Amino acid sequence: MSSHSFLIWRLLRQHISIAQFLGFFFANLLGMVIVLLSLQFYEDVIPAFSGDDSVMKNTYVIVSKKIAATDVLGGKAQTFTPDDISELQSQSFTRRVGAFTASQYQVYGSLSMGGIGMGTDMFFESVPDEFVDNKWPDAFAGDKADRLSLTTLDEVPIILPRSYLAIYNFGFAQTKNLPKLSEGVVSMVQLDLRLRGQGGEEHQLKGRVVGFSNRLNTVLVPQSFMQMSNATLNAPLGSAAPLNAQPSTLNAQRSTPAPTRLIVEVKNPADDAIATFMQDHGYELEDNSLEAGRATYFLKVVAAIVMAVGLLISALSFYILMLSIYLLVQKNAEKLQNLRLIGYSPSRISMPYQLLTVAMNALVLLLAFAIVFWARSIYLERLWQMFPTLSEGRVDNTLLLGFALFILVSFFNSLAIRRKIKYL
Amino acid sequence: MITITLHHTLPRVFAQRTDICSDLWLQDVTLERGRLYLIEAASGTGKSSLCSFLIGYRKDYIGTIAFDGKDISQMRSHDWTLLRQRSLSTMFQELRLFPELTAWENVQIKNQLTSFKTDDDIAAWFEQLGIADKRDTRLGLMSFGQQQRVAMMRALCQPFDFLLADEPVSHLDADNSRVMGQLMMAEAQRQGAGVIVTSIGHHMDLPYDRILKL
Repeated sequence: MSSHSFLIWRLLRQHISIAQFLGFFFANLLGMVIVLLSLQFYEDVIPAFSGDDSVMKNTYVIVSKKIAATDVLGGKAQTFTPDDISELQSQSFTRRVGAFTASQYQVYGSLSMGGIGMGTDMFFESVPDEFVDNKWPDAFAGDKADRLSLTTLDEVPIILPRSYLAIYNFGFAQTKNLPKLSEGVVSMVQLDLRLRGQGGEEHQLKGRVVGFSNRLNTVLVPQSFMQMSNATLNAPLGSAAPLNAQPSTLNAQRSTPAPTRLIVEVKNPADDAIATFMQDHGYELEDNSLEAGRATYFLKVVAAIVMAVGLLISALSFYILMLSIYLLVQKNAEKLQNLRLIGYSPSRISMPYQLLTVAMNALVLLLAFAIVFWARSIYLERLWQMFPTLSEGRVDNTLLLGFALFILVSFFNSLAIRRKIKYL
Repeated sequence: MITITLHHTLPRVFAQRTDICSDLWLQDVTLERGRLYLIEAASGTGKSSLCSFLIGYRKDYIGTIAFDGKDISQMRSHDWTLLRQRSLSTMFQELRLFPELTAWENVQIKNQLTSFKTDDDIAAWFEQLGIADKRDTRLGLMSFGQQQRVAMMRALCQPFDFLLADEPVSHLDADNSRVMGQLMMAEAQRQGAGVIVTSIGHHMDLPYDRILKL
C-alpha cells in the first residue's frame, strides 16, 4: 500500500463497524457453504442413485414380457411383435427403442490362467451400437464392420455384467481358494471361445472383456459381430437397426426370431407414464432403473431447493453488506466530500471500501471451499462404505460456481460503493 | 485556465431580492489568470455561496459561470477532479482539514496526490509559517490560526491557474498574516496564477489589482 493510500485508509476506516462486518461475513459464509456443499453433494451422490454406469445410461430401461407359469405351460410366446415395438416407439416418454439380438448358435467359453482352467456354455446378445456409447473397438463400427469374418477376426470384445465378477470373487474364488480378480486383470486375460452353428460348423475365436455393466444382465457383443456370426453359422440374420428406422428394417425384423427383450431410451425415467404403460401391457422392467430415476429426480429437486435457500442467504448477506457500507459512507460523508474537494476522484476514494469488500468476499470464498471439502471428505467416507464402487464426483463445477459467485458479488458490491460515493 | 467569467450570476436564494447592489452578482465580470483580486463581503452577501459555486460544490445559482468560456454547470465529475488537481486550488474558509491526521499528513495527503512539492519544500514552509514544532501534532489539537496555515500549505501543493483563498487570515495576527501573504504570492507568481482572496473585513495587505464588493 503506498503512503497516500495508507493516509486515505486511516481516514476512511473510521466508523467501520466490526459487528456489522462480522454479521455479513458469517451470513455470506453460511450462504456460500450451503450453495457449494449442496452442489458438491449432488455431484458426488447422484451417480449412486442414478445407476449410471460407463456402459448404460440411466435413461435406458430394459423391457421384457412377464413370464407367468401358465405361459410356460401353454408355450405362449414371450417375444415382442413389430406392433408391440412400434406402439412402444410411439409413446411420448420414448426416445428410441432397440431390440436385443440373441446368438443363434452355441457358445462355449473357457479361460485358463496360471494353470487353472475353467469353462462354461454361454450365449451372446447384442443391442444396436448407439445404445453402447463408444465401447466397441473401431473394427466393429462403420465400414470396417462389413468386412468382419469369423476366420480373420482376432478378438471378440465382450461386456460382462459386473455381478458375474462379484459372483466369482465372493462366491466361487472364496470357497475354492482361487485368486480374486479385479476388473483390470479380467480385461487383460484372453478368453477361448468355441462357436458351434446349427449345421455343426465350428469356429475357434479369442474374446476379451472390454467393460462391465451394473445394469445390463447379459453377455454383450457388438451388433456387427452378432449379425455376421449369426449369418455365417447358418442362422437367420439378426435385426440390426434401431426399430424406429425405415420400414425395410422392420421387414428384416420379421424374418428373424422376434426379440424377447427390448432396450428403450426414455426421456425422463421419473415419468409415471412409463410404469403405467408397462403395467397395462404386462411388460416388465428388468431392474429398478425407474426407481433410480425417481430417486435421482427427487435428489435433484432437493438439491435445487437447498441451493436456492443458500442463494437466498447469500443475497441477504449481500444486502447486509450493502447497508453497512452505505451507513459507513454516510458516517464518513464529510471526509469523503473533503477528499473530493481537494482533488481525489470518486474511484480513488471508493477503492478502500471496494478492496475491503472484495477481500472479505475472497476470504469467505476460501473458507467456504475449505469447509466444503472438509465436509466432503467426511461424507465421502460414509458413502464409500455404502457404495464401494462409487467414483468421486467432479469438483470443478463447485469451484466454478464459487468463483462465479465471488466475482458476481464483488462486482456488484464495487459498483454500488462507487455509485454511492459518486453521488454523495 | 485563463479566465473565470460570471455572467448575470446570482445565488438562487437571492432571486426574489430587488436590492442587489454588487460588483459581482448580476454583473458581467471576468477574472484573469496572473492577477490578484480581493472580494470584500459583508455577512450574508453570498461569499460562501460564490466559493462553493466556483469549486463545483454547489450549483444553486442562476446565470452563468464559465471557465475559459465553458459553462461549468456542464462539467462532469471527472472534469472537476482534474480541475481541482491541476487548475484550481482552494483554501476553504472552513479549512476542510482532517483532524485525525497530523499537520504534516494533512499537507501530504494532497501532495501525494499531485507529487508537486518535495518534502524539503514543505518542511521549509512549516519553518516560515512558524509551526515547524507542530508538524507531528494531530491537527485536532491545534488552534484555528495554526490550522489556517496548514490549510494554506495544502492549497499550495498543486499546480494551479487560480488560487481561491476564502478568508485565509481570519484568525491570524498581522505578522503571521503578512508571512502567509508572502508565501501565497510567491507561489502564485512562480506559477503565473491568478489569486482570488475573500474577506469580511480583516484582510492581507497585498497589492490587489482589483477589489470587488460583493
